[in-house]
Amino acid sequence: MTNPVIDNIRRSLGRTVQSPIEPRPVIYASRQAESLESDMEHFLDEITKLSAVGEQLSPKEIDSALKSLVTEQNIRKATVWETASLRQLGVAEILNSLGVELVSANADKYEMAQCDLGITEADFLLPETGTLILKSSHEKPRAVSLLPRIHLAIVRPEMLRADMHQVFAEAKYSNYLVFITGPSRTADIELTVTLGVHGPRNLFVWVVEDRKNHHN
Amino acid sequence: MTHEVPTYIGFEEYSERVPASIPSAVQQATNRFVSGRAARVSELPQWEELRQIGSDIRLHTIEHMDVYLTRLEEKVKAAGGHVHWAQTAEDANRIVLQIAREHNVKTAVKSKSMATEEIGLNHALEQAGIQAIETDLGEYIIQLAGTGPSHIIVPAVHLKKEEIAAIFSEKLDMNAPADPIELARIAREVLREKFLNAEMGISGGNFLVAETGTLVMVTNEGNGRMCTTVPDLHVAVVGIDKVIPDWESLTVFLKLLARSATGQKLSTYTQFITGPRCEEGEFGPKEFHLVLLDNGRSNVLKDPVGREVFKCIRCGACANVCPVYKNVGGFAYGWFISGPIGAILSPQMLGTKTARELPYASTLCGACADVCPVKIPIPTILRHLRRRVAQGDAIALPTMPAPIRVTASLASLALTQNWIYRFGTRLLPTLMSVFRRDNWVPSAPYPLSRWTKARPLPPFTAGFRNWWKNVRSAKTKESAR
Repeated sequence: MTNPVIDNIRRSLGRTVQSPIEPRPVIYASRQAESLESDMEHFLDEITKLSAVGEQLSPKEIDSALKSLVTEQNIRKATVWETASLRQLGVAEILNSLGVELVSANADKYEMAQCDLGITEADFLLPETGTLILKSSHEKPRAVSLLPRIHLAIVRPEMLRADMHQVFAEAKYSNYLVFITGPSRTADIELTVTLGVHGPRNLFVWVVEDRKNHHN
Repeated sequence: MTHEVPTYIGFEEYSERVPASIPSAVQQATNRFVSGRAARVSELPQWEELRQIGSDIRLHTIEHMDVYLTRLEEKVKAAGGHVHWAQTAEDANRIVLQIAREHNVKTAVKSKSMATEEIGLNHALEQAGIQAIETDLGEYIIQLAGTGPSHIIVPAVHLKKEEIAAIFSEKLDMNAPADPIELARIAREVLREKFLNAEMGISGGNFLVAETGTLVMVTNEGNGRMCTTVPDLHVAVVGIDKVIPDWESLTVFLKLLARSATGQKLSTYTQFITGPRCEEGEFGPKEFHLVLLDNGRSNVLKDPVGREVFKCIRCGACANVCPVYKNVGGFAYGWFISGPIGAILSPQMLGTKTARELPYASTLCGACADVCPVKIPIPTILRHLRRRVAQGDAIALPTMPAPIRVTASLASLALTQNWIYRFGTRLLPTLMSVFRRDNWVPSAPYPLSRWTKARPLPPFTAGFRNWWKNVRSAKTKESAR
């Protein structure tokens, strides 16, 4: 089937189907990873600049951290990614014990929108920009990081990558990816920065590290 | 914003009656973005290298656009998406309407998109009884206000919070306070309900990655994510010039874009969408349609100088530094895209007859080219288009009246032929003395009157050669002493 748009592009460029394809110009080398500690420090620094809240916790501290988050942010309803690692940390059970109503991660959009808190992991982290990178699947719905008014990402240091290049090499065949760099923001009215215009108003990132397994 | 394609862009006329509120509001925004950009650029030692690579890749892509678009179509289809080709704006509107009708759509939520502004999609949808709601806060405000965008990144920057509160109060039937945070909260609430109930989400796109058929969208508010995640149907309308080869190339443009646009390292949300959701029951649209918009772009490719305009990644940095834009604002440029980039894009897409004033809407100071993240030679293209406007070329007929063209040709001859120039310098002071009043020439006769329209000319003396001869001989005498 002929395509009139492509045909006209070829006419304008003086090309044909057989015209040679020159190689794409070479891209510069990507940023190199530093030590896990310094990249993590860099990452936490950046997310603080973005008005997000970053913390480093041990698995045991999750319980008390969730407790204060629920109290401080007045959380009644929450939804959680159904992943092995969040299950292992007992996130859903802790929320349950705090009297928070849990909404299934695969509930409909109306119910998701009622949630105060959405808890996800991240698939990758970028230190230079303080970015969380999330894939999507049945267990990891995109709505959890979008519809609730607060987004909490519980991540691990090994998710750090040096640069976008490494992330793309690993993730470019995913059907959906999102880079999250701070909470939702706008400056559309008189250039006043306002957080949480459509997406989450608050972003918390907890870096969970099992110090027993940590080799220095 | 008017939905019709302009038939004449009266930049000059508009610039003479710019509302007083525009320059100050626009400059508040541009100054903020200029300093933000400068801060980010200074942090990145390889910035110039990135710009060069960005420019090279864009140029390569333009020159191989057929190859990458063919690959893109194949990959989007392989991912389960639908691809539609729209030769004209009418085609694109018809395609989107058709999809909407097939899905019984009553309400569509839209994220900010230059392509849909270009084709006047909102108007086409509304004519067909489908409500199209802009969801970017700035776009939502100007949609309620019924005006157009004054800046590419902050479209409602010309409105004060009191004016926005009045618009909200009237249109939403409520008592809205003049407080930016409260107003944003109100918009969040109103639009949240729209996101949840709309049957269709409409978006543009920042990049199309040919390698995998991926639509890349960059937003800050999260409305882009809402429009492409919550409704079951996602339709993206994207210009064919947005295609890039692969994900490696994307790293370059993502590093350039937000830094140049808003002075952020990355915008809050960058989404990479490859087809519809792939698992049954996964959250996300069931259907994905990509409408590839030509609307005259493939014709612009004929011109090897002018086509570099398609390197543009729509950051708006050129407008932020432009002394002309800063004083007239976005409306003056008459179409969906403003600033220096609009001044070189609109004349090529609408024709120099319609947009013949735009190539002159510049001082040729070159600040735009200095900040352009993909090194578009905007002043060169402006001069190229001025020549097209004045003299015409293989693409367009001249629009200047014959006497002016003849005068310009004579001037160009005189400035390149030494003897004519010398003769002219002797003749002109005598000729000009007729029009001289004291020490000025207040108005020259037609066709030279264009030059004295805005200010008087000093009398022509052209004494440089004589002056130089005297200086040189004086110097020779001095050194001989």
